[in-house]
Amino acid sequence: MKKINSIFVIDDDDICQYIAVSIIEHSELVKHTKVFNNGKEAIIYLENNCQILENIPEIILLDLTMPVMDGWEFIENYIKLKPRIGKKVYIYIISSSINPYDFERAKNISEVSDYIVKPLTLEGFTELVKFITK
Amino acid sequence: MPNTSKNIRLLNELTQMFSELEQQKIALDYSAIVAITDIKGNIIYVNDKFCIISKYSKEELLGKNHRILNSGTHDKLFFKELWKTISRGKVWSGEIKNKAKDGSYYWVHTTIVPYLNEENLPFQYVSIRFDITQKKEQQEKLVQQKIALDSAAIVAITDVKGEITYINDKFCKISKYSKNELLGQNHRIINSGYHEKDFFQNLWSTISKGQIWTGDIKNKAKDGTYYWVSTTIIPYLNDMGKPIQYVSIRFDITKQKQQEEELKNRAKLLEDFCFIVSHNLRAPISNLPVLVSMIQNCDTFEKQKEIASKLSKPVNVLLETFNELVESLHVRNDVNIQTEYVDFFECYNLALENLCIDTYNFEIEILHDFSLITSIYYSKKYLKSYFINLISNAIKYRDPNRKLKIIVKTKKINNSIQLSVEDNGLGIDMKKYGDKLFGLRKTFHENPEAKGFGLFITKTQVESLGGSIMAVSEPNEGSTFIIKFN
Repeated sequence: MKKINSIFVIDDDDICQYIAVSIIEHSELVKHTKVFNNGKEAIIYLENNCQILENIPEIILLDLTMPVMDGWEFIENYIKLKPRIGKKVYIYIISSSINPYDFERAKNISEVSDYIVKPLTLEGFTELVKFITK
Repeated sequence: MPNTSKNIRLLNELTQMFSELEQQKIALDYSAIVAITDIKGNIIYVNDKFCIISKYSKEELLGKNHRILNSGTHDKLFFKELWKTISRGKVWSGEIKNKAKDGSYYWVHTTIVPYLNEENLPFQYVSIRFDITQKKEQQEKLVQQKIALDSAAIVAITDVKGEITYINDKFCKISKYSKNELLGQNHRIINSGYHEKDFFQNLWSTISKGQIWTGDIKNKAKDGTYYWVSTTIIPYLNDMGKPIQYVSIRFDITKQKQQEEELKNRAKLLEDFCFIVSHNLRAPISNLPVLVSMIQNCDTFEKQKEIASKLSKPVNVLLETFNELVESLHVRNDVNIQTEYVDFFECYNLALENLCIDTYNFEIEILHDFSLITSIYYSKKYLKSYFINLISNAIKYRDPNRKLKIIVKTKKINNSIQLSVEDNGLGIDMKKYGDKLFGLRKTFHENPEAKGFGLFITKTQVESLGGSIMAVSEPNEGSTFIIKFN
């Protein structure tokens, strides 16, 4: 199976981070994994690296409810930044929210590839990588 | 032959007059109900219209007393006055309800003209009547409708400037003003101040254009209490289409509005609970099966131990969240919360004990001043919980770059007791988070202890006892939380 170079995990919960990183490592499909505690940390990193293509991830796994800058605010800021990023980035919302309002809201944002209800599983993650490397 | 020619001329004139009179009689008979009675009231002449409306034949009426048509509607005095007038040789007119042969009733506008003899005494009475049954029935209907409206609705009439010219009893009852206090006053007297300026501007521009306005209005009664009315204002227009007065019809919907408000609060609460369940509970739960399956599938004992250690956090969070959820539910259902005289200082000390304040390994300067207000009739349980939540909040969001200072004090402003907790911590961006501060939605700092529960519970408790809570804060300067007791 085709591997991808880089993935971001944006989540404030350390257990969720641990699970996501373990699954990614276990899948052996990703070379580099970077973890951020909230949207703001990730946006700052992207702003500083948007010209360095190899530092831009193929996939972002994004939690919704986070302090400082939540998932929705991250997407807003990412959309502003997008023209400066010369690479297709797949954003997957990974949330424990099963609120239909959140599903609907995510559906209406074209930058969001899909909405995955936690927990993230190895099978789910493998499918996801398979889909984008097709 | 001058006499003869004079006689002929007179005769001609008489003939002429007679024929004119005849024509006038025809015209009168055609338009009016005519009868002639003698001085006792016995009928000696009726025209066709009289027979048609009374449903009697001429033969049945002639020689009979006029009482045959009496409906029993009018009292004795009414007819006494009538007879007094005409027997003195004066004309009487008025409205009379009569009874026809078949028992049905009819109203006639009646004029009775006494014919006088040379001694100026009446020798017969001519009555001329017009059928006004329809008009009377309409009037009756209107009166009945007014009674129905007055017993169902709150009615007021104002002039074009909004000055009250009429109000019914229900208006007085709900507004708690007397009629005298309201008549001549501007309608603004019951303004509650609840609605925006636009609201009344829209109302006035609608009705002054001659259009009907409907809407719900919150008003203020004389005793300061509020009531809601579903209102319809109908402009009465003159021939030019300009309003000359406004009639307002209102219905008391205070109860519905209260229920609506309660429902809204409940919906909000439900939404909050959904959020807790969806995030605060679901998030740690969803982690557990993954961690368990990771333990089952990993190869080394060391690795198993590492993953197992990760289990404790979600389990603890679950337990804590669950307890807090139960606590906040408990507040909502605490209808008969115990109140007593509570000493601020005592509660404050209990809270510090509970927080194990001196066991913290960093320095806190915490000052208190309860000298202005030392005690309050309140729930001890809640007051202690406010101290715990607000002080622990200040500790959680302290600024690591300076020594934390907390000032707790009581005071009295406008007859209401206030408790304030002031800190020099991180502060909150009120522009960004002010409306969400007391909700369950968010925490506002990159703080691992932040769960955003304490303020929600505090607010719930404060409001359940009729008080309010607010925050004043500047980022990087600190926050002050103020509880106003009822």
